[in-house]
Amino acid sequence: MLTRRDVLQKCLTLGSAVIASHVSPEVMLAAFQDREKQIRKPTPVNTLGPFYKRLAPVNDVMRAPGDSGVPLNIAGQVFDTRGDIVTDATIEIWQTNHQGYYDLDGYHYRGKRQVDKSGGYTFESVIPGHYPDKSRICQHVHYLVQAPGHKTLVTQLYFATDPVFEGDSVKNYVRDPLIQTPELIRPVMLTGDPNEVHAKVRFELCLERL
Amino acid sequence: MRPNPAVLFLLPFLAAAASAQTARQEKTINLPGEVSVEMATISHAGNLVAAISSDHSVRVWSVRSGELLRTIEGGKAPSALQFSNDERLLAVSDQLETYRKGTVKVFDTDTWKVQHEFADEAPVYWLAFSADNRHLAGAGFIDSYVWDLPAGKKAATLSPPFGGTNSMAFSPDGAWVATADCDTFVRVYDTSTGALHSATQGNLLEPWTVAFSPDGKSLMVGGIDKTILVIEAASGKISRTLPKQPGLVWSLDVSPDGKHAIVVYTSAGRFLDTNHLALWDLDKGAILAEFQKPGITIQGGTFVRDHYLFAVASGNQLTLWSLP
Repeated sequence: MLTRRDVLQKCLTLGSAVIASHVSPEVMLAAFQDREKQIRKPTPVNTLGPFYKRLAPVNDVMRAPGDSGVPLNIAGQVFDTRGDIVTDATIEIWQTNHQGYYDLDGYHYRGKRQVDKSGGYTFESVIPGHYPDKSRICQHVHYLVQAPGHKTLVTQLYFATDPVFEGDSVKNYVRDPLIQTPELIRPVMLTGDPNEVHAKVRFELCLERL
Repeated sequence: MRPNPAVLFLLPFLAAAASAQTARQEKTINLPGEVSVEMATISHAGNLVAAISSDHSVRVWSVRSGELLRTIEGGKAPSALQFSNDERLLAVSDQLETYRKGTVKVFDTDTWKVQHEFADEAPVYWLAFSADNRHLAGAGFIDSYVWDLPAGKKAATLSPPFGGTNSMAFSPDGAWVATADCDTFVRVYDTSTGALHSATQGNLLEPWTVAFSPDGKSLMVGGIDKTILVIEAASGKISRTLPKQPGLVWSLDVSPDGKHAIVVYTSAGRFLDTNHLALWDLDKGAILAEFQKPGITIQGGTFVRDHYLFAVASGNQLTLWSLP
């Protein structure tokens, strides 16, 4: 099967592609190859519910002073499937508190924000708890990502440190019936001293263009 | 925040507790060994009960005798089941790939042959037949569908902007199908074409369940808001809100005369524990009777003559109860 790289190389050789530039075809090809490395798969989808609540406030600091639980910083960037940064995305997230309860009366641990000029975002939160019902649902953060010209993404972020995975999320992700791929399970970097642990997670998002 | 949801959940009922537990146990069906019931439904006439069990099979029993009539095996991950209103059909959805691919098979309940199979769709997790058994609807996390059974093909794909659909219901004349959507809207579509008729946003949180009144003029909608809204079907306007509900509204059934409703509740922290049911007088806006037991999950039910027959799962037991 021909790759896009093969096709471009043939086009350049045969003159089907004209490079309106002073740079050589070799340089252009190298640039293309670099670019091609950034092509991304769309972030896998996951369920929205059941506790989505509309009208979440614009707020990326969801952790209130004195909140129990392990402080969590979530950061990432939003791309499209061509590897381009999406600069006009809105990210809405919601999760349980550290004990596994959603705030249904208010908007604690619910927030949304626009990405910055580099497509980046951060949220300050806590590591969510497991649902108290002893179901097999792992700790997770819900995402709703919307951007003009792109398909709305509904997904969830999971934590590789979740005890359900027993240290091997690639093998054990199937223990949660809602996780269809280990791609949504992100490594957790723990910092600070043992009495004041902080967690950091990166979660890059990739949207499909309409 | 709900620091102690169990207490909050029970508080409204302390006064009414003495009148509760009026349900009568009708029959207990034991499943083999370690097999547990994951989902169950009772036919509208109250003659058949079917269940998806943990071994991924679907079993069908006679309500009257408790006799096992059929075991349907071979499903990968059955996700919903529903009888047609005349009991002649049983629809079973199967999730072949999570979020990606599913199939719906419609069985003839006399011969148990597959009458229709709708494949290559996104999985659905809720099924509903129209009263005339002409249409079947399936609600999924991505897309929802309406199938025309006599034509043997899909009539419409219903796609809310995001999040999918929790449940669906047909109007009594089958002309409209209503969806309780995860983006918090309740939408009403033309059954045959899938054209959007109305969209109502009365909830802040997700609606879980929707039901038409027997005259088709209104819709009742319940969900995580702990409210039941009454919506005019024609206009989509909210006409009434029932008194605050004692829990998250998991499902609701309206009686054939439109005077009563059965509401099944759950709680925020244990939302899979559907162990509380109430019979509402819709005119008075008051609870007439309740049923609540720890360690059970209340499954599907149906109004049969002068009582409500419902299935309760606990471990490998499926118990049928009736509430006068």
